[in-house]
Amino acid sequence: MMLLKLLPLSLAYGILQVALRLADDADLVRRLKAHEPKAMSDLYDRYGRLAYSIILRVVRNPSTAEDLVQETFLRIWNRVQSFDAEKGALGPWVLTVARNRAIDHLRSVDGRMQANAIELDRLENPRHFSTIDSNALAIDRMRRLKSAFQKLTPHQRQVIEMAYYEGLSQTEMAERLKQPLGTVKTWTRSALQILRTELGEAAIA
Amino acid sequence: MTCRELSELFELYALGVLETEERAEIEAHLARGCEACTASLAGALAINSGVLSLTETARPPKHMKKRLMQSVGVKYPGWGWVWALGGLVALLVAVWLGVQERQRTTELAEARKNILQISGERDRLTTALQFLSDPQTVPASFGKGQTAPPRGYVFLHPQMGVLLIASNLPAAGAGKTYEMWVIPKGGTPRPAGLFQSDGTRAVHILNGPLDLANIGTVAVTIEPAAGSNTPTMPIVIAAPVGT
Repeated sequence: MMLLKLLPLSLAYGILQVALRLADDADLVRRLKAHEPKAMSDLYDRYGRLAYSIILRVVRNPSTAEDLVQETFLRIWNRVQSFDAEKGALGPWVLTVARNRAIDHLRSVDGRMQANAIELDRLENPRHFSTIDSNALAIDRMRRLKSAFQKLTPHQRQVIEMAYYEGLSQTEMAERLKQPLGTVKTWTRSALQILRTELGEAAIA
Repeated sequence: MTCRELSELFELYALGVLETEERAEIEAHLARGCEACTASLAGALAINSGVLSLTETARPPKHMKKRLMQSVGVKYPGWGWVWALGGLVALLVAVWLGVQERQRTTELAEARKNILQISGERDRLTTALQFLSDPQTVPASFGKGQTAPPRGYVFLHPQMGVLLIASNLPAAGAGKTYEMWVIPKGGTPRPAGLFQSDGTRAVHILNGPLDLANIGTVAVTIEPAAGSNTPTMPIVIAAPVGT
């Protein structure tokens, strides 16, 4: 439901931020690898607000969010050596790490840690982000994505939010929503299909 | 599952929310270097980060960046020095204002003291004039014919009391004061007030009614600062009344 409540102003701000940050991410990565203090400052200026927003959206506690933002940026700082400065997409990596740190925290609170923590850790490996489009967060894609969200039904939006902001599997969603697993899977797959279609990234035919 | 079937699951896989069996199938494809599945993962990561970037923005606390920079060993100056400088300036201004205020208070107290002194002098002069101009006032002098000072006059009035005007009267000295005595004829001296000389002259007034017919002498002695109940010898001034 929160995704529908996106304010035009906040979206415009986000789009502007993304546009500005695309320009010199490669240079920033090079400076981060050299552990230049100013690079960390620039990284925070570029992605700190968005990372904090995502984490706060997940954990809903400002103090915890602050700790997790710190953990996120320290993780980037410590793992940036494996990141491909030329081909990698820094923004998607930072946002993924931020979201995963928050979901890990949520799962630890809920007692759902175990193997999932290792899995998230593996999924945010920098090498995964060296093959994705460096324009992943480009203005045009953001607009199309927002437009795609407006096409989702309430059920589709609900399951998307549960996956992204609560880290729930489809089985857990079905239990939460008291719906058959098959129904939840249909809502989820159809929602993701709409997002892909709008972005022109349809699944393999 | 085929690559096509799996391609619909990569967003969930990248979010870490896929069921165990499906996740294992995707990882098997990726492990053997399946190009289609590697491309699907890249596309899914891009979509996921796009969705996350649409999160409604919140304002992080201002101190967060400072904390982060300190955690990587960077001294982050922030704006603390501005507040420190502002605080120092405010402190200096407060001290300066305090000094000014204290100086002003001292000057005011001094002015009040002068005004009171002038006012007292004026009152004494007014009283003295009343003594001198009233026909009931009886004068008496002292020091005439003496080789050593002081000299002067005593004026007695039945309602107003006694006015003493002395010249060539040296200061009483440290811890000492002059004390006037009214001595009745054949009686014991009665204390009539303490006063000081400015080094050359002195004016002293005892307010209150007097029985002029019974007063024999008005005298002055030097006494301790608090005064005495009986005069200490020698007598500095002795003005016989009615002679």
